[in-house]
Amino acid sequence: MKFLVCLKQVPDSTVRVKVAADGKSIATDGITWSISPYDEYAIELALEHKDADPATIVSVVTVGPARSRDALRQALAMGCDDATLVTADDTVAGLDVAKALAAVVKEAKPDVVLCGKQASDDDQGLVGPALAQELGWPHVGMLTKIAAGGDGIELWREIEGGHEVWTAPLPVVGLVHKSAKEPRYPSLPGIMKAKKKEIPEKDLAALGVTPGAPRAQVVAMEPPPQRGGGKILKADGDVKALAVELARLLHEEAKVL
Amino acid sequence: MIVKVTDLGILVVAERSDGKVRRVSAEIAAKAESFGDVEVVEVTGTDRYHPVAHADAVAKWAKNNSSDLVLIGATLNGRDLAARVAARLGWAYAADCTDVSLGSLKDGAFEVKRPMYAGKVRATLRVHTPAVLSIRPGAWTLPAGTGDLKPTKTLAADASAGGTLKFARFEPTATSGKRVSLSEARVIVSGGRGLKGPENWKLLEELADALGAATGASRAVTDAGWRPNEEQVGQTGKTVTPDLYIALGISGAIQHLAGMTSSKVIVAVNKDPDADIFKIADYGVVGDLFEFLPAFTEAVKKRKAGA
Repeated sequence: MKFLVCLKQVPDSTVRVKVAADGKSIATDGITWSISPYDEYAIELALEHKDADPATIVSVVTVGPARSRDALRQALAMGCDDATLVTADDTVAGLDVAKALAAVVKEAKPDVVLCGKQASDDDQGLVGPALAQELGWPHVGMLTKIAAGGDGIELWREIEGGHEVWTAPLPVVGLVHKSAKEPRYPSLPGIMKAKKKEIPEKDLAALGVTPGAPRAQVVAMEPPPQRGGGKILKADGDVKALAVELARLLHEEAKVL
Repeated sequence: MIVKVTDLGILVVAERSDGKVRRVSAEIAAKAESFGDVEVVEVTGTDRYHPVAHADAVAKWAKNNSSDLVLIGATLNGRDLAARVAARLGWAYAADCTDVSLGSLKDGAFEVKRPMYAGKVRATLRVHTPAVLSIRPGAWTLPAGTGDLKPTKTLAADASAGGTLKFARFEPTATSGKRVSLSEARVIVSGGRGLKGPENWKLLEELADALGAATGASRAVTDAGWRPNEEQVGQTGKTVTPDLYIALGISGAIQHLAGMTSSKVIVAVNKDPDADIFKIADYGVVGDLFEFLPAFTEAVKKRKAGA
């Protein structure tokens, strides 16, 4: 089976995000960039299939600025077979990213396309469904597992209270929520091997995509309202009295009980 | 009297869960009354949400009726549906909006607010009509006395439009009970590593039952397999905005805080007085969870009973 995983490089989840001086973007000086967490799960999910069947091919692709090459290199070091960088400005609209990815998919002809369910920067979750729409393929979101079954594969979708199991013939698009195991760390041989691999580069024009004016644009950003100055209650031996006091405060002061 | 700020055509897609229209659908429908001419529809014709067939039905209706704005609750299915509908129509799209200001409509564009970077930033977006928006549950307060929402139209999804993707079966999670859904809950009781093991969750569940609350967990807990993934709150889990969030034995990693910091009132119980969770808590209890929790559950029960 042939997987193509679409990933995005985003600020690492441990970064304390700050709004930049322009008031409508984030300060990127000195921050650590990583593969978006859900995309890491998508890579892990595909690599787990490769572990079980070494004939499996796992390719990765990203649409983004030149720094995204590091994220692709990381994916190769984790064990992916090949990578493609589609260079584009960070501000290209999601629908145009989907068009570029669709062009890559048509060339690579994978059986399964995986995307993280959303990138942890804009949190829109648009590109995956838009890519499926562009290709005319079905998509299944909240994916946690792929298995053989039905006329093609089974796609396990996590919802409240359990999993919906969907079946579809290949090809399909899956939007990954979690993998069975935590995403693997690159091994030392993996890192050495990844260093030697060529990462071909394309631009949007080469894929026949002319970015349009974005129809939704960030015009301002602010940090969430600061919290603090809360009441700290300490148990001085009488836990019962403290519990009663907290219940009283929640009822009379906070009015949430 | 409701004053409409625009004469835009607004389509609200209602979602049902266990036979009842979801609260978020009612929240959106009530708010949208002030926006313009509202039609509330419900997609029927398939046993459950189908990502392709439902998008097909909604997109066709929005196009044929020249809707300017499609509003859908940002639930699990709603977010999925909204994205595919926007892609299919080629319309503007914004997910998980916490506010929409149609009063700012100028040259066919208006403003919405939504979290970005897993809640670490609040962004204002200028969005061009026509647009598809998903709206975060709880973002708009349901006016007191609002009755159950009755969709004015049903759209029969064409099952054949779903193509080759077919629902096969449902596999329930073993530990899942009949609790309130996490993303829509008004009260959430969440547990972290401080609970020491899955066997101690009954203490948390007793409090949740007393409060009528949903149960959540930190990533450390779901990763350890103590609780199902669906209970994870925070980055790579759910972002929640309840009226009351009670964090038990959660130290407050930045990824967890991102998912719950917009809750109205936050209570934290932790034995470590330096835990980061206390920096954002409205009420912090420094002490032993296993002593405090049963006493607090008792106090809540008494309060609820009117004592």
